[in-house]
Amino acid sequence: MKRTLTLVLNFLLLSVPATMLFAAEEKAELLQKKLDLTKLSGINFFFGKWYNENLWIYAIIVTVLMGVVGLLIALVTDVILKMIGMEVSKIEHHE
Amino acid sequence: MFDIYLPIAEMHFNALILVAIGFSVGVLGGFFGVGGAWVVTPALNIFGFPMAYAIGTDLAHIFGKSIVATAKHRKMGNVDMKLGLLSIVGSVIGVEIGARNVMWLTKVGLAGPVVRYTYMFLLFGLGLYMLYDYFTKDKRAAAQAAKMAAARAGAPVPPRKAWNLPPMIHFPASGITISFWTVTGVFLFTGWLSGFLGVGGGFIRMPALIYLIGCPTAIAVGTDLFSVLFSGAYGCFTYGVKARVEIIAAILMLMGASIGAQIGVTAVKYVRGYGIRLLFAIMIILAGLSVALKQFRFNTSAAWVVMCAALGMCVVIMVKLWQGFKKEKADKGLH
Repeated sequence: MKRTLTLVLNFLLLSVPATMLFAAEEKAELLQKKLDLTKLSGINFFFGKWYNENLWIYAIIVTVLMGVVGLLIALVTDVILKMIGMEVSKIEHHE
Repeated sequence: MFDIYLPIAEMHFNALILVAIGFSVGVLGGFFGVGGAWVVTPALNIFGFPMAYAIGTDLAHIFGKSIVATAKHRKMGNVDMKLGLLSIVGSVIGVEIGARNVMWLTKVGLAGPVVRYTYMFLLFGLGLYMLYDYFTKDKRAAAQAAKMAAARAGAPVPPRKAWNLPPMIHFPASGITISFWTVTGVFLFTGWLSGFLGVGGGFIRMPALIYLIGCPTAIAVGTDLFSVLFSGAYGCFTYGVKARVEIIAAILMLMGASIGAQIGVTAVKYVRGYGIRLLFAIMIILAGLSVALKQFRFNTSAAWVVMCAALGMCVVIMVKLWQGFKKEKADKGLH
């Protein structure tokens, strides 16, 4: 009996999120803009070109670049903090 | 002097301001386990950054920064991967429900005030509760000790009430065993709140992990950052596709934020769990004050309050880090 009740309760709880999704959603709208590439050079031109030509590739470049730059800076600052004696290891959790 | 050209926003902006904003949000994010969008957007607004790009640029730098902070928290044993992954699933569904509720409120013309008053109630309520929790901790510890003493003396101890509907899940990193439904319910609720309020949700999830799930504070901070990493990655990509990320500004902010995050995370090592909770409580009460000012149309004052609070808190965290580091060095010298 307890097992059946648990199963029924689990089933009911699983259906809660689906029943709560009842209205339409609003999405951020696309900015309709083209950059003037004649003013740009170097890296700015590279980003501007992809921004104008293909926003999916621009989004991939942004996401990958953020991850890579984040990792690189983490590595460098980690080395610097270690050099000044601020390295971290597993800590005990005190409340 | 530090003026640079932002190619996507098509304007000149001071690079030092971007690095400084990134740095202060990085310190706060690493220490409290939050993304910090509620600080960045008004700060960028004050200095004249175009609002069309503020949220997308902010989310892009949050993604990079949370990689740095999560990696470091993981090294310190502060990330509960299993709990973090569950939080992502629950939050995604919750956010969707929250967003749809807001759309319904918009249709009936009530979205603005309802969302803002819920936001204020949540920030003040949570902040005051955390302050109360901090100032009564010794009393509770004494009561607990008395209960334990009574149990040892043979007196019956009433069992602790808990909702134990199977399946139960064990989280070894946090050292807790809890019903799957409790965890899912909590993340669904925090996700709903973040979708409803239109925020990343780190500042809601972190206290929820402590008070509703029972995580140690440092693990709550690390696990929350792990969730922020995924929402940041998704936000970075989707706003990129919608042409709303100013990439040069995001890189500059990320440079400051990555250094700040390292400092914030390292400071967690030197501050006890309750100390983190106290500082977090003060920070969100000030954020609540900023929302209240905005409600009464003091927009500039609201932005300054949240920015000054963030900068002040940064200074406090860095001082705590320096004091802890000096103490540790002195202790090492003694041994």
